[in-house]
Amino acid sequence: MPRNFWLQQAIWIAAALALTLALTVLVALPSGAPPFATLRILLMGGLGSMSKFGQVLTVFVPLLLCSMGLLIPFTARLWNIGIEGQIVLGAIFCTGAMMPVDQGGPAHIALALLAGMLGGALWALLAGLLKTHGRVHEIFSGLGLNFVAMGLAIWLIFGPWKRPGVASMSGTETLQPSLWLERIGSLAASWTALGLACAALALVAFLLVRTQWGLGLKAVGQNPKAARLFDLSPRLRMLQAFALCGALGGLAGAVQVLGVYHRLLPSISSGYGYTALLIGMMSGFRILPVPFICFFFAVLNVGSIQLPLQLNLDSSLSGVIQGLLVLSVFVTQGLRAYLTRRREER
Amino acid sequence: MIVLRDISKHYGRVRANDGISLTLEPGRIYALVGENGAGKSTLMRILAGHTVPDSGVIALRGEEHPGLTPAMAARLGVGMLYQDPLDFPALPVWENFRLSGPPRDRTQVVDRLGELSNHLGVCFLPDEPVAAMTVGERQLLELLRLLDLGATTLILDEPTTGITPEQKRDLFGLLSRLARQEGHTVILVTHKLSEALEMADAIFVMRQGRLEARLTPPYDSEELVRRMFGDTAAQSTDSALPEIGQSRRVTLADTVFAGPKYHLGPLNLSAAPGEIIGLAGLDGSGQELFLRGLCGLDRMAAGSLSLNNAAHARTHFKTLRRDGVHFVPADRMSQALFPDLSIRDHILLAFPEHAARLEEFHQSQCVERFDLRAHPDTPAKALSGGNQQRLLLSLIPDDAQLLLMEHPTRGLDAGSARQVWEHLRHRCAKGATLFFFSPDLDEVIEHSHRVLVFFDRALVADVPRNNASVEILGALMAGKKPEGTHAA
Repeated sequence: MPRNFWLQQAIWIAAALALTLALTVLVALPSGAPPFATLRILLMGGLGSMSKFGQVLTVFVPLLLCSMGLLIPFTARLWNIGIEGQIVLGAIFCTGAMMPVDQGGPAHIALALLAGMLGGALWALLAGLLKTHGRVHEIFSGLGLNFVAMGLAIWLIFGPWKRPGVASMSGTETLQPSLWLERIGSLAASWTALGLACAALALVAFLLVRTQWGLGLKAVGQNPKAARLFDLSPRLRMLQAFALCGALGGLAGAVQVLGVYHRLLPSISSGYGYTALLIGMMSGFRILPVPFICFFFAVLNVGSIQLPLQLNLDSSLSGVIQGLLVLSVFVTQGLRAYLTRRREER
Repeated sequence: MIVLRDISKHYGRVRANDGISLTLEPGRIYALVGENGAGKSTLMRILAGHTVPDSGVIALRGEEHPGLTPAMAARLGVGMLYQDPLDFPALPVWENFRLSGPPRDRTQVVDRLGELSNHLGVCFLPDEPVAAMTVGERQLLELLRLLDLGATTLILDEPTTGITPEQKRDLFGLLSRLARQEGHTVILVTHKLSEALEMADAIFVMRQGRLEARLTPPYDSEELVRRMFGDTAAQSTDSALPEIGQSRRVTLADTVFAGPKYHLGPLNLSAAPGEIIGLAGLDGSGQELFLRGLCGLDRMAAGSLSLNNAAHARTHFKTLRRDGVHFVPADRMSQALFPDLSIRDHILLAFPEHAARLEEFHQSQCVERFDLRAHPDTPAKALSGGNQQRLLLSLIPDDAQLLLMEHPTRGLDAGSARQVWEHLRHRCAKGATLFFFSPDLDEVIEHSHRVLVFFDRALVADVPRNNASVEILGALMAGKKPEGTHAA
């Protein structure tokens, strides 16, 4: 039975990939892009050399942090769409905390990471409180707070934190190199960031699968009314879930500042929060597939940089392909559920 | 004439209907009785076109069909009235009435509504919102709507749940007239044997997916019970009610409970250990708020509540729960259990202190005490109604002193209901106090030391056991004051 199960699973994933391929060809043809060359460039652009692989890892880290974070509120059936803003706030808090520092060390870096987590957690709590005490749906408040966070970042960059003399979209002044995360050899990625992402994976998996707290959170998501009768404090638990997710989002923001850009940029979140939502949906909010999908999306993301260089195509095509992939997974899942139901009815 | 021939329907391994053949003649009233899960609903859904049978033939008006769609069934004159009326509470009467028929303007609809109402001796205000009507009135409106669509075969699923005895009398009178004078076929799906015995020209008994018997008058009620439940016939619990203790378990003094929509009170009453107190009232009469207020889910706006002589000026759900107050809602799936979580998870959530020896605890608590034999990994939503109730009961801590239950036997067959009551009486005999609500007055009377009657969001009477009868309680529930009772 289990062998059969895995075989089936593999067949369905293959079906989803085939459907994506077919749809990609359909989309690519009218825009004049050779579909197979496009796909090859996307993959090779991400995995073709060690330095590209390093790039992939730098994208993989925030994606994994955010998607693992999102699994926590989703266990309580909450959609923390505000993760994008929580990344930005993490970056802002991290930058703000390190502004006065001239010469840093590991302690400062740890402090900066913690500041980022705090920023993300507070921003998430805002959406959470609106949900639990203000009856505002978390999708609306999250989306609104995303815009506010973005505005806040731009205001800081052009206002109080502008570089002496120039205020531009290129961001704040660069942090002291002693505050940068150390890189792996010549690769763009850093061990610290990778370690944090893996730790987040392990922590969230343990929390959700192994602990009484995780079970309670699942119960809250299943039926908040019954959770009240079981004395599970549903509101408190929802807020905790928001805060934890926000902290991981904020950590992703801090890693972007300390490890990648070394300053605060207006687009510091790079849309990773939304991508992480897609990853969560595609995984069906199960833990096991998440790191693999994250890696795959990171490859697509980095590979897409090659599209304008080699084929004169817009790099947004990779976004289209990611979207098609998610849709294909849903279509095949729907088809599978429909077939199972029909077989059971017979 | 409707003929069902050899109808079978399987769900997985469950044979919901197993080779059922029956004939329904015009101008007759039939009762379809059976325990929960006997296959009554499936059979009626097949006749109304909502389910397609695996095999068998439905012959209607000389046409033979292997299965019907809802539209075909409606065209052939089959109309079904569901237990919860399928109407739109936000819309007024006339718009509800118009929804399913041919396109008509307001005047035409109101005229047609008036014509039908007049004919059947009922009365509706076309502009009244359906939300403001009682369940009984909404049923009548649904019935009128079906007749307007040309229904000649009327299927009524448990139509007397949630309506007063008077409304029930009116409804039955109307159904009799429809059958006797107009030649309609009426099928009454019910688990209340008294209704079947009173109304039906023939009773179909279903058991475990099969048609067990077709009984005709004169009925032998013992035979009916035996056919329904098998030879180990369901006897009502004839053990005595538990002894009432001398002390006071709970006392309300000028207590006002404030719900989201209305207030209830001031209430003054007390209950002793061992006492079982039934609550009677139509939906929304105040008994819901009474139970939710007692356990602290709804606010206590004034007065005080004493539990074991310790006064609480304010009620907190957590505190009261720790002090042994336990509330069990009627709607198990939407309010009391977690649909996708397993039995094991539920136990772990309710008794975290037993996490270390969970298997053992599950065995002793669920399997041995409550005969809950489903695998511990089964999710709650996959359990039968009876097993869901067993799970809920097994989640009540042993030291619970004040049990507040909304309809403890909702949706249970007679055998499971008996088990539930044996358990509850046992708990009360050991000193627990029980407040329970049931829409079934017979059940309330059978198990209560005294009955609190609610009407129009107020406690209107406190009736001792010797005075409680269906007539008296029914009148009080409808807002009348029969003689021989005192107001609370």
